[in-house]
Amino acid sequence: MKPLIALFAREWRLSIRVGGGALMGALFFLIVVTVIPFGVGPDLALLARIGPAILWIGALLSTLLTLDRLFQGDRDDGALDLLLMGDTALELVVFIKCLAHWSATGLPLVIVAPCLALFMNMDPQAILATVLTLLVGTPALTFLGSIGAALTVSLRRGGVLSAILILPLTIPVLIFGVSAASSLLSGPAGFMTPFLILCGLALFSLVVGSVASAQALRLAAE
Amino acid sequence: MTRKQRRLTLILTAGIVIAAAGALVLYGLTDKIVFFNSPSDVAAHHPLPGSRIRLGGLVEVGSVVRDSDAKVSFAVTDNSNKVPVVFVGILPDLFREGQGVVAEGTFETNGVFKAETVLAKHDERYMPKEVADALKKSGQWKGEATTGK
Amino acid sequence: MALVDFANPTRFVALTARVTPWLIALTIALFAVGLYGTALAPDDYQQGATVKIMFIHVPCAWLSMFVYATMAISSLGTLVWRHPLADVAARAGAPLGAAFTFVCLATGSLWGKPMWGTYWVWDARLTSELVLLIMYLGLIALWQTIEDPLKAARAVAVLTLVGVINLPIIKFSVDWWNTLHQPAAVFRMDGPTIDPSMLWPLLVMALAATCLFLTLHLLAMRNEILRRRVRTLRLMEAARPGVGSERSA
Repeated sequence: MKPLIALFAREWRLSIRVGGGALMGALFFLIVVTVIPFGVGPDLALLARIGPAILWIGALLSTLLTLDRLFQGDRDDGALDLLLMGDTALELVVFIKCLAHWSATGLPLVIVAPCLALFMNMDPQAILATVLTLLVGTPALTFLGSIGAALTVSLRRGGVLSAILILPLTIPVLIFGVSAASSLLSGPAGFMTPFLILCGLALFSLVVGSVASAQALRLAAE
Repeated sequence: MTRKQRRLTLILTAGIVIAAAGALVLYGLTDKIVFFNSPSDVAAHHPLPGSRIRLGGLVEVGSVVRDSDAKVSFAVTDNSNKVPVVFVGILPDLFREGQGVVAEGTFETNGVFKAETVLAKHDERYMPKEVADALKKSGQWKGEATTGK
Repeated sequence: MALVDFANPTRFVALTARVTPWLIALTIALFAVGLYGTALAPDDYQQGATVKIMFIHVPCAWLSMFVYATMAISSLGTLVWRHPLADVAARAGAPLGAAFTFVCLATGSLWGKPMWGTYWVWDARLTSELVLLIMYLGLIALWQTIEDPLKAARAVAVLTLVGVINLPIIKFSVDWWNTLHQPAAVFRMDGPTIDPSMLWPLLVMALAATCLFLTLHLLAMRNEILRRRVRTLRLMEAARPGVGSERSA
């Protein structure tokens, strides 16, 4: 247990202290959300209706943006080889790394989401629903994204490719996240049904992300 | 713990998490995720006027009234409830009485559904016209019951 | 070691050379019969002549999933058994699968416009099929980006296996959710709901499309093997002697 806690602390400190990790994602989130009203026009009713969707897409893009830091640094300085050879199962290492990465880059997105929701003219109930779904959904995005990061770890400029590979896998998360978040605004579709499925998808991606990323890292190191 | 035991614990934990995920998704799926809501859903939930929904069901036989200016009014039914719909525009070829349709739009305050788009849904049965006629004649026709459930 | 012998790429290339003419002939014959049957097939009682799009659309849809399934099995072959032909098979399959998926989506939207009244809707069946196309394109992109074919094969295999989840979603989307797309008409528990006069041309067309896929797949695999040989020869030429750690024939 102790090495895992140490690993978590190391990852977390690295993402906070190394230039532009956590802050960059949140800043990008802010900018994406700011740009959209200029695209769709300042119709407040429309913004309130599509607000949850905009926040979700912003969170998705910000998550993708920071993903290349997940394994790249460790590969560059050789720490990845140590982790590969270490006694701890690589799946567990990946899990801890993703968790630390999420708490440094994903959690800030969830925290700033309510402020950005005010820009979108969303009402308190919709804000609460959106923040809840983001809290459950962003870890799923990080873990799914780790697969792309691991697959492209040996490439110099893998960022765009990683995004292309990962986006189709995130579509179910996005669908159920947005439909849960905007369920309170419209129609008879309830909040709980899509939210439960979102929770299921999140749990599922914890396992699939850890296992597939570990496998990809092993194969890349061979 | 030995290496093998640790490996086993890891696999077990992963299995439990996957099972929990599967249970959540299956539990969620029991309440159908919908591309459209049926008239019965509408009767049960009373969507607010002005909120956008998709309404799906069968066009009630004998309910289609075509006014001037391409305005059409009809009722969408699922054989237990029905919703009056108005639509202005061009209807798809398959639109006819008894046919499954999906209409997207909003409810007005008087309970009439104002559709902005109307899409026709067809069922999974394909047969020549003669066969359909023969089936109807011999009384073996099962009707349009498969659409718009 | 009979299995290893069979997996020998040199023998495989020789085998394809022998089988290909027959496969091509079979494909042409099946397409001739299938298209003739399509022309003969009666119009649908509701959809009229538009229903003929089905004879292209449905085989392509089946194959788009079938090709992905074969790629997934090949990926297992790459990761678990390290079979020398498995990654060649997966790589050769991806562009074909993408093409079938694209044709399926294109014909489907041409069919949807007159019947449903729209080229495209975001319902579960259409969306999951579009996701399949994007995944094919992503796999191709990953393959082209990683230079070493062996490393590329393993990376792609991992991603292919993760994406298998999409296949049951495509197949059962019309049963799980009420979509605009109609439910399955051929592969269903209580037997096909297509009239026999339309069913047989459809099945012949499906068989023809499968043969087309097999033919193109064998040819593409052969090309891939030859391409790798050329690559190995070039590498050996560049770094002579004996650095050819590359696996090839």
